[in-house]
Parts: sequence; structure tokens; C-alpha cells
Amino acid sequence: MSKTLSILKDFILYVVILATILFGVPRFLSWYLETPYPIAAITSGSMWPELREGDIIFIQGNIEKSELGIGDVIVYRNKDGSTFTIHRIVALGDDTLTTKGDANFDPDSPIEYEQVVGRTFNIFGKPLNIPYLGSITVAASNMRGHKGDL
Amino acid sequence: MDMDTNTHEEEDASGVSENHTKERWLKRMWRTHITPLSRSEKVFLFFLSLFFLVVIYVALDANKYRATVLAVEGSGRVGVNPTTELLDFGDLSLGMSSVRKVTIKNGAFFPVFIIVVRVGDIASLINVSENFFTLSRGEESTIDFTTYMPASADVGTTYDGRIYIFRIPRI
Repeated sequence: MSKTLSILKDFILYVVILATILFGVPRFLSWYLETPYPIAAITSGSMWPELREGDIIFIQGNIEKSELGIGDVIVYRNKDGSTFTIHRIVALGDDTLTTKGDANFDPDSPIEYEQVVGRTFNIFGKPLNIPYLGSITVAASNMRGHKGDL
Repeated sequence: MDMDTNTHEEEDASGVSENHTKERWLKRMWRTHITPLSRSEKVFLFFLSLFFLVVIYVALDANKYRATVLAVEGSGRVGVNPTTELLDFGDLSLGMSSVRKVTIKNGAFFPVFIIVVRVGDIASLINVSENFFTLSRGEESTIDFTTYMPASADVGTTYDGRIYIFRIPRI
């Protein structure tokens, strides 16, 4: 009986630890990085080789217009409202900014500052990324036949 | 002579001979370390062994190719090195692409699920026409591997990698 109780206690402990990791970490990151989208998986190669397909990146939210600079890698919401793009800023205007994927030849159409969701969380001037961890998201995206820019 | 006497005295004091102690130790070892498996453990081990056998079979049965491409200067340049030994995408200038095809046939008696995995520097440059699909018994399919040389590629660099085509039995 005591052995069963001990196993049950261990099981509950593991469930609590797992739940803390699964729900607590994203909530903590969301609070720390000041964005509802703190983590994202790269599902295309438009920022190759800086960011590769399957990488997980961290997004720093609440970025003011004055804080953005040319060369920053930003995440913005596309006009359709449901997809996001991560590209590098190549030009800054008064009302709009222009981005370009490192692997692309041409810049994107200008976007409004309101579309900017955040900037990549950088360490030593480079976006912090975890390789391969987003591969499951990429595989799921490919299986659904969807190909995004993030 | 004195030593012998002492030994006997020790045995007498404990009441256990050296051989008897060894026998008990062996019995304890048998009981603690070589416990017969229960039925559920045998079933679990059977399925675990089966799982590992399937993993080994899938890994050995996979088609493995070395893939390579060289980024060259200029524009509109495509140099193809035709070979069946590896997926050589030749020399590509920035903005150009080349295609290699691989035909796979399911010769097994059961449908197989195809998974294409790309690894290495070239992995991000290759687009696979079809991935994660089922191939019925006797069915044949051609997969197009398109390598695109992006604007950010380093001219003069050879990008290498490997492509694995896994066939997972779907029973």
C-alpha cells in the first residue's frame, strides 16, 4: 500500500514538474519578453544562413519605433492577420519600414510600424536560436501543406 | 600454528564457516539479482525488442544519398555534374536552381510511409517536392529535389549534406 502511495506521489510530482515546464516557461517568457508571442519556429529559409528552417527563436516585444534600426531582425504580422514574417530591416521611413530576407534578392513591400510584433532576442548581437527544436512545427506545417515565412 | 588456532576460534565465535557464508551470499545474490521476469515484463520486453527491430530495419532500409552544390560567381550559371552515385547539384550562381530526381518503388508486401530527411549545410537550400506520404504496394513515385542558391550564399563555398529517404512499414 505504501509502495503504491509512493509511486502515486512520484507520478503527481512529475506531472506538476511537466505542467510547470509546459505552461510556466511560455508564460514566464511572455512576461519577460513583453509579448504574447515569445517563441516561434522558423518554417522557411528566407533568413538563411542566419536563421535556418527548424530553428526556435525568441521574440522581444514592446519595441518602440525609435528603438528600431537598420539591420535589426524583426517579426511582423502580415496583412492577412494570421501569419507572421521574420526579416531584416533595410530601410526606415516616417510611417513605414522595409524589410528583406537575407536569402532574398528583393526587399518586401513596405509595412506599417503597427504591424511590428517584436524584434529577435539577441545575444552578442546575434539572434538567440535553438537549432532543430522547431523541426516538429516545420514537419507539421509541411504536412498541412502550409509554408510560412517564419 | 598460532594462526590456525586463531582462525578456528573466529569460526567458532561467529558460528558460521567460510563455505557456509559464501553459500548464503550466493543465494542472496540469486534472489536479488536474477529475479525471473513477470508476464507483463516479458510482454513489455517483447514489444520493446520489436520496436527496436523495426527501428533498425527502417534505418538500414533507408535510401542514403550524399548531396553537394557549389556556389559560383556570376549570374545565370548552372553546371550540372551527372552522376547516379550522389545528388550532385553542380555549380550554381546566386539565384539559380537545379533539380535532381529520385524514383522510389515500394517492392514490399505492405504500404510504406515515406519520410525524407535532409541534414547538413545544404539542407536549407533543398526543396523536396513530396514528403510524408504513403506508397502503396508496388507503387512508384518520383521525388524532385530542387536546390536554390540564395542571395546570402557564400560564393566559392561547397555546401554538403545528406538526404535520407526512410520507408516506414504501415501495417
